[in-house]
Amino acid sequence: MTTDTHQAITRIAEIIINELKLEDVTPETFDADLDLVDEIGIDSMDLATIALVLRDEYGIRIDEDDYPKLTTVRIIAEYITTKLAEKE
Amino acid sequence: MENAKDITEYKFSDIIASPSIKERFEKVRKYFFLRESTYDMSNRCNLRCEGCYYYAGETEKQFAEENLNPTDWQQLMEAEKKRGITFVVLAGAEPSYVPELCKTCYDTIPLGCIASNGLMPLAKEIDYRIHISVWGNDTTSLEIRKAKNMLVRQMENYQGDSRAIWVYTFTPVNIDQAREVTETLAANNHQITFNMFSAPTDYNGHLRHTPETLARTRAVMSGLLAEFPETVVFSPYNIVAHTHEQGLHSLFSCSYPRMNPSTAIGLGRSFRQYRTDLQWDRAAACCVPDTDCDDCRHYAAGSAVVTARMYRHATTPQHFSAWLDYVDTYLAVWVKGYDKGENLCKEMIEPPEQS
Repeated sequence: MTTDTHQAITRIAEIIINELKLEDVTPETFDADLDLVDEIGIDSMDLATIALVLRDEYGIRIDEDDYPKLTTVRIIAEYITTKLAEKE
Repeated sequence: MENAKDITEYKFSDIIASPSIKERFEKVRKYFFLRESTYDMSNRCNLRCEGCYYYAGETEKQFAEENLNPTDWQQLMEAEKKRGITFVVLAGAEPSYVPELCKTCYDTIPLGCIASNGLMPLAKEIDYRIHISVWGNDTTSLEIRKAKNMLVRQMENYQGDSRAIWVYTFTPVNIDQAREVTETLAANNHQITFNMFSAPTDYNGHLRHTPETLARTRAVMSGLLAEFPETVVFSPYNIVAHTHEQGLHSLFSCSYPRMNPSTAIGLGRSFRQYRTDLQWDRAAACCVPDTDCDDCRHYAAGSAVVTARMYRHATTPQHFSAWLDYVDTYLAVWVKGYDKGENLCKEMIEPPEQS
């Protein structure tokens, strides 16, 4: 795992914790492989809100059609690092 | 094309920096937990309306047997609750034939709505929002629905009842009657919202809208919203979305299972449309299953299809305000006790391009 992806995982976890007001978990303890839908209970509107915050943070567009793929924090982090690499 | 731009002109944080937008976003966001499914309650109705969503169409839902066993319904509701459903829509054919089943649903999932023709009042202990259908003035109702004095009887049944909101379905033949109906409801302190006739799959009758009738409907809706802001629960963006020459699917990509193969998240994952025999079919799962998707401008469809597209509306403060107005309207129409705020976007703006 690259440093960029690791940093992204921590930051995305922080955003999810803040947006969903999750308790008893920190960005450091957040399991990056948890299924956000099945295990956290995220729905499409939550994901849209998180996608908007990520858009601000990283300056990338997250296609609505890609939402179904974004099932874990790790996958989101990889998605973002790929998008950033494509942008460069 | 918007997706050819370098991201967006506005950051989301800039958009919600506006106090009025932020306040409205926080207000509607509290309801992001709503996850709906719909249920045909009975295969009986005391009316036979031309172009009826229940009895028309290709599928044979009207021939599904009624399950009248409250225990089966209670078990269904428990199972629905367990899989995350928080809002039920009790519809077809006429739910007021089975009030005890409606109560069973209410006792398990307390947020919901009943679509009724309003001729048989539902007991107040079923504290769901009640959508009362109106398809024109009483002369037209007699012609199309074969029911006498319909509006008067509906109002008598639901006088002073905060559960009730009238849903006026615009067809090409009743556009100009919306004023008379709105005036009558306003005089009796009722609320009204607007629906568009959306043709069932095999329907080729005179109720199908044309570009000319869509334009006329838009003008009438706009006038009534301006003149009766306390009575008409709608927004300029609702008007745009539902009277656009392109249907809802073309404008916003419908996310109901019938048009959305993904089962990963959102409606594609959770939405079901149960028939009276408590079975459901993914291939037919949408809020109005036999609608011709190309012609769909149905209010219930928009309530999910437009609201789901938050991301693509968060491109400018104006678009996001329009989307917030739409969601605010949706909640006021569907959730009992939710009060609609003043519309933030007064102009009729075009929907954004897809992301």
